[in-house]
Amino acid sequence: MFLQQLITGISIGGIYALLATGYSLIYSLLDFSNWAHGEFAMLGAYFAIVFANMVGLPFMLAALLGVCGGALISFLCEKLVYRHIRSTGAPNMFLMIGAMGLSTIFQQVANLVFTGQYRSFKFKLPVSTIEIAGAYLGVLDLISLVLTAVILVFLIYLINKTKFGLNVRAIACNANAARVLGVRVDRSIASVFLLAGSLAGVAGILYGMKYNVFPTMGNIGLKAFVASVVGGLGSVPGAIVGSLLLGVLETFVSGYISSSLRDFFSFALLIVLLLVKPSGLFGVDVQDKA
Amino acid sequence: MSDVIHNLSMEEKISELEGKIDYLEAKVHALESKNPVLEMQHVEKHFGGVHAIDNFSVKIEQGQIHGLIGPNGAGKTTIFNNITGIYAPDSGKIIFMGEDITGSSPHRVAQLGIGRTFQNIRLFSNLSVLENVVIASGMDATYNLPQAIFHSDRFKKREKLLNDKAMNLLEIVGLQDKANERANSLPYGHQRKLEIARAMALDPKLLLLDEPAAGMNADESLELVDFVREIRDHFKITILMIEHHMDVVSNLCDYCTVLNFGKTLAVGTPAEVKSNPEVIRAYLGGNE
Repeated sequence: MFLQQLITGISIGGIYALLATGYSLIYSLLDFSNWAHGEFAMLGAYFAIVFANMVGLPFMLAALLGVCGGALISFLCEKLVYRHIRSTGAPNMFLMIGAMGLSTIFQQVANLVFTGQYRSFKFKLPVSTIEIAGAYLGVLDLISLVLTAVILVFLIYLINKTKFGLNVRAIACNANAARVLGVRVDRSIASVFLLAGSLAGVAGILYGMKYNVFPTMGNIGLKAFVASVVGGLGSVPGAIVGSLLLGVLETFVSGYISSSLRDFFSFALLIVLLLVKPSGLFGVDVQDKA
Repeated sequence: MSDVIHNLSMEEKISELEGKIDYLEAKVHALESKNPVLEMQHVEKHFGGVHAIDNFSVKIEQGQIHGLIGPNGAGKTTIFNNITGIYAPDSGKIIFMGEDITGSSPHRVAQLGIGRTFQNIRLFSNLSVLENVVIASGMDATYNLPQAIFHSDRFKKREKLLNDKAMNLLEIVGLQDKANERANSLPYGHQRKLEIARAMALDPKLLLLDEPAAGMNADESLELVDFVREIRDHFKITILMIEHHMDVVSNLCDYCTVLNFGKTLAVGTPAEVKSNPEVIRAYLGGNE
């Protein structure tokens, strides 16, 4: 039972992590929380639903197109909205308000186009469970866990070991200095939105397979946001650790206490952490931004 | 056997290409020496009602070290920001190596070969010393994200080249042993040197130094003078520098321009400028 809960917790935590790392990357570059981020996951999942269930493409291809869809929407938000808000020199609060507006618009559009109906992929993964050491583990959970692990390891590699990642870290540190040293700041930011959007797309599809696809499913973005604050806003490893922590906590609360108290505990964790260590577990040196 | 033949023809090709490069370099040099490295013509910049730069002109020839001096708020850093594309001037022209760069974007200006340092050191404090330099040496990275993702050979080669180049620069400024330390763990004087090494990674033809001797004592300033001169001679670059320490200016600069409230007070050699009555009045605060 314990192992079972733990695996489920880590697997849901992995889905949070795919979103939380996106929050963190964008926050570290632009100093604002992209409230529309959960919606990229929702739209990615709908793209996949359209291609898999309506067009009838093979599931893997439809999922890939769904991921591209999430990336595209994220990229367009940056290109058409955030970049223009930045260029007016408006305070960062405006970016956040813009993101809130986008989030509502995306939910409404999804509601209009797809109705509020819960949809599931026609493609069914083996719902069976496998037995390991007396615990029954869901195959979907395991697949989701392995996939997210691979993606996250790759993301960390990208950020820490490539020139692209170096540019991103330099911009996070001091965008103007990076600009004067020949870094194409806007281009790097756009690439990060593409990357974050595609991770959100993966998260949306995995979440949609586990539960369902519906217009307000982007609200898991809020959980991912909590996870990234717990881990330390702006830190990619922090976002991953915070997500796993939150995923496991939620599963245990649901399993051993009551599933209706799940969100209570998640947000209580957030409040306690903000009181005790406001910079989060992996808090980034905030003074460097000045 | 066929390998040997293949290698030979490669070497021949390389030597042929090298010949062509020499020819092109000579041609570029001939073109360069015709134009001043930097020419600013009647540049103006206002912020609201404040005339930050008023009708500023300057001409800097290849290999010169030109000083910009003047009291605080005279508009010196604003001139740097106009050259590097952080601001676009309201009017006037900025010409670099014969090319009009007025209002160009910062990364474009960097690409063309203008490097700069900042008055308050702006290193990437969380990154390592080496990474700080690699950042600036990779603008021409010729691989794209998918290639980086799949770790192609071309990508690996580029990364290695970038690292070697950055290490080479660190050796020149004497920071090779600190390559893996965090930039903000370095002592102040080393941070200044690192910032210069980072700017040099752009392969600049023109280097803009914003108060390189700020916060240094007399001995450190003297060392800096030697260091800047070495950099100039080693890389054959041209330097425009903002400086308050008159001993640094007299020691280093071929010419200098004195500014006061955005206006140009005097231009000339350090000795000429120092004896200019208007300059003395601005610095010592005579009655208007």
